[in-house]
Amino acid sequence: MTVRRKRRTFARRKICRFCVDSDLRIDYKDSKTLRYFVTERGKIVPRRISGNCAKHQRVLTLAIKRARQIALLPYTAIHML
Amino acid sequence: MRKYETFFIADPDLPDESISAVDNKVQSIVTTNGGEVLTYVPWGKRKLAYAIRKRTRGLYVLMEYAGGPKLVSELERNLRIDERILKFITVMLEDRFDPEKERERIAQKAAVPFTEEEESAHVSLGEEEDEEMPEDFDAEDLKDEEE
Repeated sequence: MTVRRKRRTFARRKICRFCVDSDLRIDYKDSKTLRYFVTERGKIVPRRISGNCAKHQRVLTLAIKRARQIALLPYTAIHML
Repeated sequence: MRKYETFFIADPDLPDESISAVDNKVQSIVTTNGGEVLTYVPWGKRKLAYAIRKRTRGLYVLMEYAGGPKLVSELERNLRIDERILKFITVMLEDRFDPEKERERIAQKAAVPFTEEEESAHVSLGEEEDEEMPEDFDAEDLKDEEE
């Protein structure tokens, strides 16, 4: 790769949307909300991108993994070929 | 007693009698093993995120019930054996749950008018709040990281 200026990607100063709005509940059955935290390929979005706090990121990860088990979210993007 | 929730997927191509037979069977397993079914909500047919046993659609059912831990193992054992049920997941919602007290609490709440948000919480998912989603974070940032 060509040498380029090393760009420090600082985490954007985003707030955790679950801390701010305490009405939001993280539920594995709620695939609509969970979909926001999963990339197009089905990977879980890291915390420094999504801006969640540590506690909610853990809860969210557990919910996403449960939703994958019950086929509400895919494991990868290329399931059916 | 503990409050559990089992969410399972049944075969969608079954005739209606089979589906109600499955409903009855599952509920009777709970009651005969000393539990109590709190809610039983069939979600209906949905497209699966991936194929399960070669099927792309499934019939989702959500059941909340109270009981002991042995009830859960017995229920799961039965769900596993039954070929009409494709997948299930059981989650514990509350420890130390008393259905009697819960009923009294609901009865007292019903005496005072209150909004119906609680009851429709787990069914009407279509009405999730529309948040301003920062659309920029997904593809761009991750692509940059992977380069």
